[in-house]
Amino acid sequence: MESIKLVAVLTIICTVAGALLAVVHDVTEAPIAAASVKEKGDAIMDVLPKCDNQPVKDAITIEADGTSWSFYVARKQNQFVGAAFETVSSQGYGGDIAIMVGVNADGTVQAIEVLLGHKETPGLGAWITGDAFRGQFTGRSIADTHWAVKKDGGDIDQITAATISSRAVTDAVQTGLAVYVAHRDRIAAVRE
Amino acid sequence: MTFYKELIKGLWKENPIFRLVLGMCPALAVTTSVENSLGMGMAATFVLICSNIVISLFRNLIPAKVRIPCFIVVIATFVTIVDLLMNGFAHELHNSLGIFIPLIVVNCIILGRAEAFASRHPVFLSIADGIGMGVGFTLGLVVLGATREILGAGSITVWGDLKWTVAGYEPMILMILAPGGFIALGCLLGGMNHLQAIAAKRKGTIFTPPAHLDCRSCTLCNLGK
Repeated sequence: MESIKLVAVLTIICTVAGALLAVVHDVTEAPIAAASVKEKGDAIMDVLPKCDNQPVKDAITIEADGTSWSFYVARKQNQFVGAAFETVSSQGYGGDIAIMVGVNADGTVQAIEVLLGHKETPGLGAWITGDAFRGQFTGRSIADTHWAVKKDGGDIDQITAATISSRAVTDAVQTGLAVYVAHRDRIAAVRE
Repeated sequence: MTFYKELIKGLWKENPIFRLVLGMCPALAVTTSVENSLGMGMAATFVLICSNIVISLFRNLIPAKVRIPCFIVVIATFVTIVDLLMNGFAHELHNSLGIFIPLIVVNCIILGRAEAFASRHPVFLSIADGIGMGVGFTLGLVVLGATREILGAGSITVWGDLKWTVAGYEPMILMILAPGGFIALGCLLGGMNHLQAIAAKRKGTIFTPPAHLDCRSCTLCNLGK
């Protein structure tokens, strides 16, 4: 008899908890989706050079080495000025790191932004989001840079005690840039 | 009066981190910076107050044999609600705290207070206990976080706007790595015992540290004498 009571109490508590969560989920589903779309859109605009079109809408998907890449194209007075793309590294210290990269028409990096949701060690690897590390990518292109961290003989200053995270970002940016360079003409030709 | 007593006991006398030594996993994991400490502390405080209220309300209906699963379901529900609400309506804040929120479910302070206090006391006192313990936990985390951030990063940054740097200091990275957490916590615990021993000596009494924090065999401040 007692065990029935135990089961009943647990069942009731779990049912109420489940119902409560369903209601909260229902209320928050739309705001959460809207917030994450806005977050991505903001990141795209942050890394792109000044433009007067809507890069989020002027996008092209390109297949390269089995991965599909989305390029968001920026134009100013109908002239191609650059593109933004998201590149993901699986070599992070705490899992995947997604990076939004903005490139100018001439193939140099305009800016990079490490997207939220990375799980690098707070206080160490998490500094990849800092200006000091991200800033050194600006102005670099595939040809004029040795794409590796200084510890590996390259040009990118790694974060002290966070070489793995630094290396992951460097490699991911390079991979993405290579795809951009290889398909530049197709990307530049995107129209509304 | 009792309300006030339950409210302030978490600040020093029964401070969750330095006296009860509870919730050590988040305390050591997230205290790499003041910002993370504050975020974790505030989120945990909210969940602690809510779970204390609900568990205190239903304390006579929950059978003793299944109380732990019941407490965990209640706590996990509140944590998920906080997670969803924050994600939807305070997205920026959620981004900074994101990975710490799910950790609150396994924070032993919350289960500990449910078991030791809320399931045995009326709602009114349970709220006081929740606020006191939550604020005490937050304070403990911030002290630990500030110590580690100053020593390990040479600066303190809160929400990106408030930044304070120690000029000419070469950061000791060890302090923001895992071992630094243990070192800082150990030194702070010892320091607290030392302060209390001095205070006791001035009053002419002998300080007895909590049983699990007994450091009387050490000759540094002669606690045993």
